[in-house]
Amino acid sequence: MTAELKRKRGESSTSRKLRKVSPAVNEDPTPFVVSEAESDAENDGGVGLDEEEWQGVAQEEHSSVKKSTKPTGEEIRAIKDASNLFRSSTFKLQIDALLPNVQPKSKRKPPLERFLLSLHTHLSRLPDIPAKHPLEAARGLLKNGVSVPYSAPLPTEDTQWKVAFSKPSDITLVGSWANKTSVKGHDGTTYGVDLAVEMPSSIFQEKDYLNGRFFHKKAFYLATIAAAIANPKSGLNVNVSYLSTNDDPRLTKLVLEPKLDGSQTDFTKLNARVYIIPTLSPQSPLSLHRLSPAHANIRVASEGDSDDSSKLPSPLYNTALLTSLTPKSYLLSIHAIQQNVPAFNDALSLIRVWANQRGYGESGAGGVSVRGFDSKGPWWTALLVLLILGEEPTSAGKGLGKAKRKPLGRGLSSYQLFRAVLDFLAKHDFENEATFVKADEGHRYTPDEYQSNHEVVFVESSSTVNLLAGVPLGSMKLLSGDAQKTLEILNSSTNGSVTVDPFPEVFLQDHRDLQTRFDAVVHVDLSTVKSRKPNIHLTLDSGSASNAVLNSLSSMLCQGLGNRIKSLAILHPSSSPRLLSQAHPSTSHTIHIGLVYNTEHAFRQVDHGPPATETDTTVIERFRDFWGDKAELRRFKDGSIVESVVWDVQTIDEKAHVPTRILKHILQRHFNISGEAVHTWQTSFDGLVRLPESVSRYYVGSGLSMGTKGALGAFDGLVKAIKALSNDENLLPLSVMNISAASDSLRYTSVFSPVPLPSSIASVLPSNARYVYPIDFVIEFEKSASWPDDLKAIQKVKLAFLERIAMGLMKNDPALKAGVVVGNGLADSDILDVARLEVVNAEGWAFSGRVWHDREATLLDRIINNTSGLPHVAAKKSKEARQGKEYHDAIRARESYTRLFVHSPQHHRAIAKLCHQFPAFAGSVRLAKRWFASHWLLRGHISEEVIELLCAQFFVSDGWDVEVDDERDALNRTAVPGSKERGFASLIRFLKEWKWENGLFVPLYGSSALVSKQPKAVTAASTGVWRVQTRMDEEGAIWTMHGPDAVVARRVQALAQATWKCLQDMETSGKGSVMSIFDHPTEDYNVVIKLNPTVIPRYHQNVVLDESNLSKYHKNDANSLARPGFDLLNICTRICRCHTYQDTFRIFHDYFGGDRFGIVWDPSLKEPRPFRVIGAFSFCSSAESREPESATKKGKDKDMVVLNDQGVLGEIERLGRGIVSGIIVQI
Amino acid sequence: MSPPTINGFTEIPISYTSSSTHYIYARAHTSSTKAPTNSWPSGRTMFLVNVPPDATERDLILLFKPYGTVEKVTFDSGSTLDDSNADEESEYEGDEEIDEPQDAEAEPEDQPRKRRKPPKVFPLPFPSLRTLRKTGQLAHVVFLDSSSLDRFFSASHTKPRPWSLSPEEPSGLAHYTALYDSLRPPLDAVRQHANTAMDLYEFELAKSKRQSKYKKGEAIVDEDGFTLVTRGGAYGQTVGGGVSVATKKFQETGETSERNKKRPVKEKTSFYAFQKAEKQRNDLLQLKKNWELDKAKVEKLKASRKFKPY
Repeated sequence: MTAELKRKRGESSTSRKLRKVSPAVNEDPTPFVVSEAESDAENDGGVGLDEEEWQGVAQEEHSSVKKSTKPTGEEIRAIKDASNLFRSSTFKLQIDALLPNVQPKSKRKPPLERFLLSLHTHLSRLPDIPAKHPLEAARGLLKNGVSVPYSAPLPTEDTQWKVAFSKPSDITLVGSWANKTSVKGHDGTTYGVDLAVEMPSSIFQEKDYLNGRFFHKKAFYLATIAAAIANPKSGLNVNVSYLSTNDDPRLTKLVLEPKLDGSQTDFTKLNARVYIIPTLSPQSPLSLHRLSPAHANIRVASEGDSDDSSKLPSPLYNTALLTSLTPKSYLLSIHAIQQNVPAFNDALSLIRVWANQRGYGESGAGGVSVRGFDSKGPWWTALLVLLILGEEPTSAGKGLGKAKRKPLGRGLSSYQLFRAVLDFLAKHDFENEATFVKADEGHRYTPDEYQSNHEVVFVESSSTVNLLAGVPLGSMKLLSGDAQKTLEILNSSTNGSVTVDPFPEVFLQDHRDLQTRFDAVVHVDLSTVKSRKPNIHLTLDSGSASNAVLNSLSSMLCQGLGNRIKSLAILHPSSSPRLLSQAHPSTSHTIHIGLVYNTEHAFRQVDHGPPATETDTTVIERFRDFWGDKAELRRFKDGSIVESVVWDVQTIDEKAHVPTRILKHILQRHFNISGEAVHTWQTSFDGLVRLPESVSRYYVGSGLSMGTKGALGAFDGLVKAIKALSNDENLLPLSVMNISAASDSLRYTSVFSPVPLPSSIASVLPSNARYVYPIDFVIEFEKSASWPDDLKAIQKVKLAFLERIAMGLMKNDPALKAGVVVGNGLADSDILDVARLEVVNAEGWAFSGRVWHDREATLLDRIINNTSGLPHVAAKKSKEARQGKEYHDAIRARESYTRLFVHSPQHHRAIAKLCHQFPAFAGSVRLAKRWFASHWLLRGHISEEVIELLCAQFFVSDGWDVEVDDERDALNRTAVPGSKERGFASLIRFLKEWKWENGLFVPLYGSSALVSKQPKAVTAASTGVWRVQTRMDEEGAIWTMHGPDAVVARRVQALAQATWKCLQDMETSGKGSVMSIFDHPTEDYNVVIKLNPTVIPRYHQNVVLDESNLSKYHKNDANSLARPGFDLLNICTRICRCHTYQDTFRIFHDYFGGDRFGIVWDPSLKEPRPFRVIGAFSFCSSAESREPESATKKGKDKDMVVLNDQGVLGEIERLGRGIVSGIIVQI
Repeated sequence: MSPPTINGFTEIPISYTSSSTHYIYARAHTSSTKAPTNSWPSGRTMFLVNVPPDATERDLILLFKPYGTVEKVTFDSGSTLDDSNADEESEYEGDEEIDEPQDAEAEPEDQPRKRRKPPKVFPLPFPSLRTLRKTGQLAHVVFLDSSSLDRFFSASHTKPRPWSLSPEEPSGLAHYTALYDSLRPPLDAVRQHANTAMDLYEFELAKSKRQSKYKKGEAIVDEDGFTLVTRGGAYGQTVGGGVSVATKKFQETGETSERNKKRPVKEKTSFYAFQKAEKQRNDLLQLKKNWELDKAKVEKLKASRKFKPY
């Protein structure tokens, strides 16, 4: 006994030991048991095997088998780091996968190194050129086809100083290549290898900082090198060209591109260019204290100007000069930081990739980038340096008193550094706060000097250069907004039950498209630009006339638009290399101006200026001068008399145009850019959701209250009238509890602004423009036990109730017409809710109401779940019951009940709220619906509600409905579209890329919404593939139950792709018509059936309207009067789709007055199949189409049938007699 | 030449227009075992397949007129899902015609049919309208005498016959307009219809109550003096007058309340050192496993060249 006990303990102890030594994996203890038995056997033999040794063997075996599952300490550390220091371990792995793709490949580097070596020897052997007069020197070089890029003010014949060349005092590889921080650019732009060629101090004099003399000398120096390299005798087989950063001739550098010759020094495969940048040695005689931003260094007395102008500071000029000093100092300081911060390079790559994806960098051919970010490599680096080193405390400046930024830890991961940069960009107030990177010895010039002369200030530690000189403030604000957007994405990792991986959004997607980025994109042709007050000094300071114009344009527009916009960015193609024979950069004539609205203020109609009582007359002068004839003195309600600018607005559409109107006004007034040169697409988009003029003109003078407002008013009246009825006990036995609207006409999202159809107008309108859309609502009576407990009887009671209401309404208001609709035209089951109350009020508004009785749901569920009302009777789940007609009817009825009475009103309320909160939402939805309709998908395949949900995703974020403090609010709204065009473009972009298998969660109902704990209803199998979830609809299928199916969903994607391309083309070319994206391609349909437009009741809503069809049949056709909701085409197609030809073909048509519809046969029906009695399609014997050889196999083929497509078309023609005007068989 | 047949069906070509031909397949009706009624006398009934969706009784009568007088045409649904009735009130109207006792026994729950003098339901005014059925539907045509059937099958059906629509029912545009209007009947008709329909319902309800053993609100005491106790249901479906004694849960699942249940003894998970160690180890393994999973996922993305930003 004891022995046994001991043995047991021994056993367990060994096994425990075993586990300790080999922390093995297997939860299943069998291996140990087996080995135990083995060792026992051996022990019995008295061999006395060393346990340790044996285990060693076992362990070895073990590790060889399960090596991968046993983490080593190092691995664990790596894994832990990945999840702690990065967003998630997946994120870290993704970053690791991304980085090699954006960095130059090291195996391609040797040719470049060999090339640089030979270049170095070549440059150091260049012969000196004695001092010459600049123009004479230039003439000498021009003979070799090289012109000298002298900058303005150009040297003249009587200049006293001379230009010279002597070999460079130093040649260094600088910049990102030297620091190994190169990041691939967009559109296949190349890596830049910066080669700093230090000009010897001997060729400069102390006064060279004045009037561009330094730049002239530099230009000559560069041209000489260019000529030497371009010379075929140099042996350097490269293309040489000039490149001016930001099109500023002062910042010209040489670009060397390899010629593809397969030689030792051919580095074509590296995809890199060598830039030769002439630099100034720190020991040069130029005095640095003259170069502070506040110094005036251009002293050209222009004609007519007073002495003052020569004293104006020249900050950009000074910065350009100082830039020549920086490359080497950057190199050293960055290198020092790289040594201390291991993640520096990776973080920088992440930032650059992020920025490139958003257009803050060089763009390739045809692309545009945000102005000011050309060659801003040093800035991105300095941004990181700022965070690592911290901020220099400045005593002056407007940001006084605010705690300065503390340095970050050096051991942070690349992701953490990246986030820190985004955080800085998102939160920093570039407008008011200057930033100085912490420098050991402090900064040379005072902050004031920077701040009073630059829009944005960011000074690096190793130099005195403002890295953001010349960058428009609007660009910085845009950057700030982008950073906020990205942070939001990174912060909200999970959205409901759908997990979203933020990585692609942050790093992999191209966000440079203009339409989804800006609320308004204005295409401006600058060829006629002429400043009203040309400023020579500004031109000289900016380096070129076009830069001067763009700079002043940007600041003028910002001033004019004020707080209407969050940011304004000028976008244009980045500078490109030019031939050596071309001295000055040519600038493109077209620019894009992107506006991001601040929706709170953007559409304000009045701008207030200084009050009339202002004593300083210059203030009023300035205001009047700025606005021109738009400025006027007005007296306002509060009694103040103020200079103001008023923008008259006639319609809602025009209100949305106020910002672009201001922009146009300023361009016209200050830059002589006429209206034709400025192009926006807004008006053409507006026209898509408006009734044609020939119809709307009848309404304009009628004095009717129209639009959603009018509809809401009419609806309120109806609600009151119905509620009043329930006071009369004799009329209605139950009182009306609730009347809830569920119609897009009452939530601003109907494509056409809802209009009534009073008889006065109906009689003058052509018969195919007399459509009036009934507004749906739901009537809920008080709960009562006297309802019958039978589904069929409930439907009858509904009829009775509706009849009473109709009678009552008509009695109280004789002008009102009310009726009861007893069916929907399709033969349906008698438990489906079809009874409707149809009301047309005196003004011509049409309504259609249903009765909601919640007992129906219970009764239907009983049928579906096959339970009786008595729970103690055990439910029998028989298969047969599930197949009966009753069961299927119940499923359909339950589904329609859930949609009509539960989700529809809820959805209506949420969307209506959204429309109030976000002014651009309704417009986006209307455009989107129009788009879907014009591509023959709306209603038939895609419900209006799901479009509303899809659009809502761009506006709502978690907790949007909760009241939050202003700051948070502002943060929330950065990504929210401010115009309907942007909302629409965002949707198209989304549809283009959406993987619908993954679903989508839209936090439409806010976090505060009460989730109804409804028992999940059994629903019919959904044919739709889209899943759009909300808090109320966890399945995400309520609005996509009947489509789009996979085929249609793929078609939507293809259409979105085409539309997106079209939008892009329109934007870049400035040409093209909006109509082209609403023009539906019909070649994919098997059959297109043309209809007679004169009989379609809503033909006036057609996208491509033929007005002549409207004028026809203008006579008073009483027959088609007053048929609210009589939508012929929709009735026909619904019958075909849902019923008659359900399994034969798919039908597509434009819900809004389409005059054609398309048919796609079910392809499987074309295949011969065995004869079946229940075919569910019109067939004919396949022998009909028999081919000669098949005649022999007749016995086999005889019983096969195929679709009789001609027969079906014949039927369609007959069914549509009077409507169908032609059938075109295409495939 | 015998008419082309397929699977025993005779093919009847019908030309719609000059270019399109429709085919109806016909066979003599044979009473199968499943045949629910004797309304289709074998011998003079013809079974049609693939009838045009908009065909009406009159259309078919016109079509078969040359072979004999048609007594009756019945359309069947092609699928289980489909409708069986032309207009939704047909079941009330139809009730009058079908002989009662048989029907009521066949499907006692489906429709309340046991009645002595049921109130007549006032039908909604429906003009004669074409009913668009599902395409490829079935129909039974009953001839007056069996010779017509023979005549039909012996005739040649190679030449397409034109499909003539009976002029009574509107088609095309006029059909849709008429349909729209017919769905909006005069209000007094609606009222009358609803009232009579409700009367019928009340009548059925009263009748079923009468037949039921239990009367609402009355306790049922059997001869031994025991009172029947049932659960009270909601609304009007309660039978008998007892009170509920058992929970719903018990009745549905047979489980008693949770109070008496013994909670399973919780095992201590991190009590012994080895448990802790094991836990730690498993955690690490899990960590590693997740890491490998992530890695595999990213590798997969990498393979699809996902990580080339531009």
